[in-house]
Amino acid sequence: MTLGIKQSPQTRTVLLNGMVVLIWENPSADIVAARIFIRAGSQWEAPQTAGLSHLLSAVLTKGTEQRSSLQIAEQVESVGASLGTDSATDYFLLSLKTVSADFADLLQLAGELLRSPSFPQHEIDLERRQTIQAIRSQQEQPFSIAFDQLRRIMYGDHPYALSGLGTEASVTQLERTDLQRHHQTHFRPDNIVISLSGRLQPDAAIALVEKVFGDWQAPATPLPVLSLPAITSKPVRAAIAQETQQSIVMLGYLAPAVVRERDETLGNGAIAASPLLTASMQEYTALKLLNSYLGNGLSSRLFVELREKRGLAYDVSAFYPTRLHPAQFVVYMGTAPENTAIALEGLKAEVDRLRTHPFDPETLQAAKDKILGQHALGKQTNAQIAQTFGWYETLGLGIDFDTQFQEQVRAVTVEATQVAADRYLVEPYRSLVGPSAVVKE
Amino acid sequence: MPPVLSPLPFPANLMTLANGLTIIHQHTPTPVAAVDVWVKAGAIAEPDEWAGMAHFLEHMLFKGTERLAPGAFDLAIERRGGITNAATSYDYAHYFMTTATQHLEETLPYLAELLLHAAIPDSEFGRERQVVLEEIHQSYDNPDWLAFQSLNEMVYQRHPYGRSILGTEEALMARSPAEMRQFHRAHYQPENMTVVVVGDMPKSAAIDLVSQTFQSFTPPLDCPRYVSEAEPPITDIRRQEIHLPRLEQARLLMAWIGPGIDSQSQNLDEQLQAAYGLDILSVLLAEGRTSRLVRELREERNLVQAIGSSFSLQRESGLFTISAWLAPEHLERVEAIICDRISQLSATPISEAELARCKRLLCNDYAFSTETPGQLAGLYGYYSILAHPQVATTYPQRLQAMQATDLQCLANRYLSPYHYAATVVRPLS
Repeated sequence: MTLGIKQSPQTRTVLLNGMVVLIWENPSADIVAARIFIRAGSQWEAPQTAGLSHLLSAVLTKGTEQRSSLQIAEQVESVGASLGTDSATDYFLLSLKTVSADFADLLQLAGELLRSPSFPQHEIDLERRQTIQAIRSQQEQPFSIAFDQLRRIMYGDHPYALSGLGTEASVTQLERTDLQRHHQTHFRPDNIVISLSGRLQPDAAIALVEKVFGDWQAPATPLPVLSLPAITSKPVRAAIAQETQQSIVMLGYLAPAVVRERDETLGNGAIAASPLLTASMQEYTALKLLNSYLGNGLSSRLFVELREKRGLAYDVSAFYPTRLHPAQFVVYMGTAPENTAIALEGLKAEVDRLRTHPFDPETLQAAKDKILGQHALGKQTNAQIAQTFGWYETLGLGIDFDTQFQEQVRAVTVEATQVAADRYLVEPYRSLVGPSAVVKE
Repeated sequence: MPPVLSPLPFPANLMTLANGLTIIHQHTPTPVAAVDVWVKAGAIAEPDEWAGMAHFLEHMLFKGTERLAPGAFDLAIERRGGITNAATSYDYAHYFMTTATQHLEETLPYLAELLLHAAIPDSEFGRERQVVLEEIHQSYDNPDWLAFQSLNEMVYQRHPYGRSILGTEEALMARSPAEMRQFHRAHYQPENMTVVVVGDMPKSAAIDLVSQTFQSFTPPLDCPRYVSEAEPPITDIRRQEIHLPRLEQARLLMAWIGPGIDSQSQNLDEQLQAAYGLDILSVLLAEGRTSRLVRELREERNLVQAIGSSFSLQRESGLFTISAWLAPEHLERVEAIICDRISQLSATPISEAELARCKRLLCNDYAFSTETPGQLAGLYGYYSILAHPQVATTYPQRLQAMQATDLQCLANRYLSPYHYAATVVRPLS
């Protein structure tokens, strides 16, 4: 399904200092959403500084050379805007949403936060304590525990092994100098993508971004180069015993990044078009399709077979995020403890079936229409539009990727799904959380 | 309170069919259409022994009709790239779908068929009950759900608002498919239903489509109903402590009963003004870093991990809540501070700057949450159940009319530091 809206933002501009600006003009509502991506997520953290990006995100809005934490909050909240910072595995994000009349002032403030944060010591102390509490609180949710365990067994020494919060041990040791160094290293105009959507005129918006960021010069030093441990697949089973009402059963398969890296030193999204790109995108697209077929929606295979027909679960689903490095293809469910083994078997059988039972043409077409429709419906709000295009640009895929992805989905063949399933969906990592009687071997 | 001046005209079309069905339509430019069907058949329609029926029925609706196999609707809509789901609350159940407009004509009849002619097959009943029981078990593993449920039970000792919408295993096991069909036939009738269509479809086409598809309702059956009993007011501090395993931090939840829409003592305008005034007070207390409680308790004194406040407007009673996540050793102190800050609200009018901030924030939230056809359809349907749909778009005007003295009166009337319910959750030692 196409929704008739343009398939890419109307403008992509690179400022002289290297900052990329994407603008999607959408006059329908009096809103502007901004997503500012910095290539500075948790994958750039060493094990001993795990949680650094997250702590930076918590403290970045809490003081600049000109303003205190409260003054910053007052400026945002007095006009009913929202301004937040967040850190993911592959990027650091500043999100902004305002009515259009307030946008210029808020972008100015965002510029000040990104360029001259002051990291007040008492704010670092406060947010460090809060982060440690948040790490502990993750242990309250069986799903979080199971997913945390799955990440660890799949990624080993790779930074993807950890939740972005870091560990108690690493966060305790993070200092102001760590934040400053991380900021100086990664926060530079040639490492940033600004993605805007809303009631904007492109020329005026470019001029505004230029005014706020134009005099920010990139340092002469080259962009940081990542050297990450290789990720190899060695499926194992891990279980944590807890006397919960439900067991959580999760299977994970290592699956490709959106584009296969040419080597492990690549890290700044500077991915050039190449035959490899096409080959890896085909695998990525086929697995996206398979994941959606399995776990997305009320007619998805897992939902129908394991919930509707067998009553095993309320929550049963699948996900396969778009990542810079090998991603997780996950299927999971929460089930009654006595059904733990059946659930594990049921999930595994459904993934295996992708290899043993090739799609008939009708099933393949239905899966394509579903993923394409949901992809289109995922770009309805200004925030969703700014996020989608900004993320693709940050990955180095460019503004045409959204269209290419849809074309690739339409082009997926039964053979391509078979090749991808045979290659990636063979032996799963298994993560279980539940009463000891059912999860211990 | 001052009268509401010249509200904007209601931007949607509203009509009632001869059979009593309400239709709301609004044209929006993108080629996406959302339909949201709201039914006055939430948990308050259940007698106590039938607790959980409304929600379980919402699951069973998707199990088809004589003409539609289980899951046929889900497949029909998702096969065309659309999405669908449903939800049940105390005052309503609602069923929604979003699709490219071109597919609306072929998919809406499926949804209508489910809603009007649900078969509730015996063979599916037991299996789907297992799914609902898993939903209940999942909630029991969620400390925040348990805390909020305990709070509701304390606040509403007689009213269904005190029960879990999900019901209990015991209650669900005691019910039959025949009773569910009775509940369905009694409540899923046109006079209880609003169909909202928002999308790039002309008014006449939308109304024709809905009138044709929502036509053949089955004659109503009678069904046991909830008999309302007077709910005793909170005249002191009701308190409950829960101890939970694997808890990493304590919770403090405090609640005050606020205005509901159906109150006998005030007219609708007064009820809405009071409700939106309490929205403002919840923002003043705990929305954003400059709000009073976040600033003091999180930012300055580091006594809580997080704190929030909200006012939930429902038909028969509203609920004003404050929730904090904190270390167990700070529980008493934080509760005392909150009580003191609550009493300040009646003693001293809030500043103009604070009032302006709260209004701006809520008005923008309103604008930010009406961007898509699905959001608009949900908003209109919700107000259609609550009062009437035209109320939906008066929200910004009513907020703007509020004065600091109005808020002081509301705090004085509803938010007492001596009359409230509190649930405290502590780690099991």
